Amino acid sequence: MSDRQTVTAPRSTAAWALGGVAVVIAIGALVRYLEQAVPDAAAGTAWAEIAEAVEYPVYAILLGLLGNVLLTVTGLRERLSGGFRTEFFIKTGLVLLGASIDFSVIVRAAEPAVLQALVLITAVFGFTWWLGGKLGVDDKLRALLASAVSICGVSAAIAAAGAVQAKKEQLAYTASLVILFALPSIFLLPAAVSALGLSPAVGGAWIGGNIDTTAAVSAAGAIVGEEALQIATIVKTTQNALLGVVAVALTAYFALKVERTASSARPGIRDFWERFPKFVLGFLAASIVATIFIGVVGSEAARPLISDVNAFRTTFLILAFVSIGLEFRVAPLREAGWRPIGVFAAATGVNLAVGLGLAVLLFSGLTV
Amino acid sequence: MSAPGTPTDPAEPTGAAGDVPAQRRTALNEDWAATVVGLLLLALILSGLWPGWLVP
Repeated sequence: MSDRQTVTAPRSTAAWALGGVAVVIAIGALVRYLEQAVPDAAAGTAWAEIAEAVEYPVYAILLGLLGNVLLTVTGLRERLSGGFRTEFFIKTGLVLLGASIDFSVIVRAAEPAVLQALVLITAVFGFTWWLGGKLGVDDKLRALLASAVSICGVSAAIAAAGAVQAKKEQLAYTASLVILFALPSIFLLPAAVSALGLSPAVGGAWIGGNIDTTAAVSAAGAIVGEEALQIATIVKTTQNALLGVVAVALTAYFALKVERTASSARPGIRDFWERFPKFVLGFLAASIVATIFIGVVGSEAARPLISDVNAFRTTFLILAFVSIGLEFRVAPLREAGWRPIGVFAAATGVNLAVGLGLAVLLFSGLTV
Repeated sequence: MSAPGTPTDPAEPTGAAGDVPAQRRTALNEDWAATVVGLLLLALILSGLWPGWLVP
């Protein structure tokens, strides 16, 4: 390959990625428009209540999926995919969400959130690992599936893939499976929260403990309401924080038991820090900064500024939801067969049942 | 190459993780990038330096 070609290739990749970001922003702008225009247009008609009830995550995900189909048909999706940065958009949105949560709420919710996360991760990871073993699923794939379903979806799968040296096909497959299960959950769980008459705190904790991927948790939480969104985010962020622990444990297990070699070394504090999701620190810092700011200038003076922060938060969440729709891939699912899907489905069922019990037990007395 | 649900092909080396390490590095970078962008935006807005007309 000539020097000219080696320089041009990354430039071209960056240009396509920027094009991908432009697509996400354009669809995001359309979501913003629809979110305001549809209820206005439906006012006074039989559709008014439905139009009011449809929140921005619904428009964002549906338009993302529609964009996915259009870009796939035109052959542009793969080239633009470098710009579909779901993880960056959702994490920035969550850091900004920290500013609208009083730090005292995080402190009060921390104990039940940590307890729920510990029990849920242990139970669901253990069940998925066991069932995957019974059904003969490859060790590395079941580590990915167990991490994704019990902790935080795609980010956990990426961390686990690094920890166990999984293949990229296994990661792509797990990521598709996460989104395949998360998409209906975004709409079904809020409906179930309403049907079961759960309080916003219990509903939020159930959503946060169940839906695998953090972006989908925010989408479902936002559909239920602001209070549920806050609790769901605290619960999910706690699970995210425990990702580092699980990733280090997996590294140790695979290095020392499954693929033991003479060079295998025990992972240390540095490995833990490397795998710790740093945005959790940003989320906590934003909450502390905003709580102190409101205490100093007063809630009246702070309200318009926090409202501006919330506008950015919503925008980043919209961009994340649009990216989820754009990123979804069917192809890896076709290759895998029924066993991993069966394991994932059964684990999701266990997660729902144990998660509901824990949410009712731990969050019934909590108010935001 | 083995399908994702089947045992690993023994002929394939352990290092055949493809672009998994690259994806992990990207995820870690995005973690920091999201933290910095989020906190920077928060600081600019709370200090009144961010112009109102640039709020989405």
